[in-house]
Amino acid sequence: MLGVLVTGLAIGALYAATALAYNVMYSTSKVLSVTTGHLAMLGGVFGAWFVTELGWHPVPALFASLAVGAFAGWLTDVIAIRRVLARSDEHLWLLSTLALATIVQQGVALWWGTEPKPFPRLLPQDFTAGLADQKYWLPIGTTIVMAAALELFYRRTLYGKLFVAMSEDAFAARARGVETDRLRAISYGIAGALGALAGFAAGQLTFAFFAVGLTLTLNGFIALAVGGLGSNVGALVGGAALGLLNAFSANLIGGEYQNTVSVGLLMLVLLLKPEGLFGSRRVRPV
Amino acid sequence: MSGTSLRPMAGSVGVLVALATLPWWAGDQYQIHLAALIAAWWILVAGLNLVVGFGGQLSIGHVGLLAIGAYAFAILAGRHEWSPWIALAASGGLGGMCGLLLGLPSLRLPGFYFAMATMAFALIVAELVLALGDLTGGGVGLSVPGFPEPFESPAGHYLLMLGIATMITWCAWNVARFPWGRALVAIRDNPVAAESVGVPVFRMKLAVFVASGVTAGLAGALFASLQSYITPDTFVFELGLFFFVCIIIGGRGSIAGPLAGTAILTALPELVAPLAKLGTLFYGLLLLAVVLLVPEGIGRLFQVILERVRPRETASPVLEPDAARLAAAIRRQERP
Repeated sequence: MLGVLVTGLAIGALYAATALAYNVMYSTSKVLSVTTGHLAMLGGVFGAWFVTELGWHPVPALFASLAVGAFAGWLTDVIAIRRVLARSDEHLWLLSTLALATIVQQGVALWWGTEPKPFPRLLPQDFTAGLADQKYWLPIGTTIVMAAALELFYRRTLYGKLFVAMSEDAFAARARGVETDRLRAISYGIAGALGALAGFAAGQLTFAFFAVGLTLTLNGFIALAVGGLGSNVGALVGGAALGLLNAFSANLIGGEYQNTVSVGLLMLVLLLKPEGLFGSRRVRPV
Repeated sequence: MSGTSLRPMAGSVGVLVALATLPWWAGDQYQIHLAALIAAWWILVAGLNLVVGFGGQLSIGHVGLLAIGAYAFAILAGRHEWSPWIALAASGGLGGMCGLLLGLPSLRLPGFYFAMATMAFALIVAELVLALGDLTGGGVGLSVPGFPEPFESPAGHYLLMLGIATMITWCAWNVARFPWGRALVAIRDNPVAAESVGVPVFRMKLAVFVASGVTAGLAGALFASLQSYITPDTFVFELGLFFFVCIIIGGRGSIAGPLAGTAILTALPELVAPLAKLGTLFYGLLLLAVVLLVPEGIGRLFQVILERVRPRETASPVLEPDAARLAAAIRRQERP
């Protein structure tokens, strides 16, 4: 039973980290990007490539993966968000990020191959450690640190406060002289780096696999919707709840029904509390 | 002015005659197969077009409904040996019912939530097909029977699909040009305004979604009997993306655009070998290019180019002042 608990928390931490990346992008642009899960996938695939194929030490490989993720996040803003938001059609950003996500996923599939490849060990540790194995504790620890750092960033730094101001009211922030376009690009870069970090830390759990991106986009979104859009605490709680539910349902009724169970949780929460557990109620436009 | 409305009518009848005689002038069997495949995809896309192009609901998971129709047909007509016609109708009905079950909760959700719900639906169907191996054959797949004489041969099968596709197109066209279609476009462009003028927003959305489920079920059944063998690998999520791209590229809010998009996008990778290797990457690039450059679809691009080449003559009306009435009006002003 303890094994199921730890596995669930580890995979839930990855979902929660993806939900955090969603939140960072949502705060400055009010856009839920389909590429979010693919940012984590890039972290895992490039991490494996740097360490296994190029033979780098894990530390420079980590920073290089973060740079790749940040670049991919920034590219999302430049290609799929900037022009589309300027034209202000409600649905277009969904189409453009979906297109970009498809391109990234299929590009990686062509270059890296469609088979999952093993992710290297990051810390020297025996394979006999059981539940104390790094593949469980790395994603959990990383996600907690990530959430704490984001909270500090939002409360203590000027840029963090600008993010908060933009998420409250982008027009007012702009009228006050905030460079909203530059801030949005920065937030996408940060989200990319966070996603890549999560994918790198959880690489031993998910393997370096091109299809992880789509799964994470869906499950990270479910964690976010369950916890409440825009809330970082909600992202953590939603991710943990989803991961635990997945692990226990896999243990009790078999692993074939993962998506069905996840979507069941999403529908249940949306029926009972549409704004999510920690979300703020949206005002209906009239 | 009956000449202007007759010309597109004559054009579409001409195209239809050309398509109906295709088995007699096609170069080889493969071209007939390709045309039948286009017809199958179009049956689905025609229904989906009402949801995406007219209603503005971004469903990326219709491949799930397609798979349900295909497996229903394979199981009913193949294992239980029902008449293919009844099985075909049952597939359509089941597709519509699953559309209702999916639409009831998810159509209330805002844009991104709805897209994710349909994507999750496609993944759930793929998961269940593998999990319920006793029913669906699991990863091994199922063989699917064809239709009885005279639709047994490839040409006959193609003509059957062409007939159904024409019927569906006619239905979609009728929906689109009557107040129904206008109400759908209103929902797409501004749901709040549509509701305020008395459009039953949720009921409309649900109705077209169920209709698109029926067409998806029919398309699944026809596609399965065309392929004569189906496995879970046939119904990957990327296929759902393909249907979606066909509509967006063809242009939202039209019927000819998505029809051309379906035909071209189905045929292109088959005819140009390097594109087949890129596969879904090609669709992604195309979708991105269209969304960024011509969000109204490529159909709109042709219109713009056509207007450049042959500018529409806009008669500027000349207003002649009516001197007598003017003088009378001035006189009336002066009197009091």
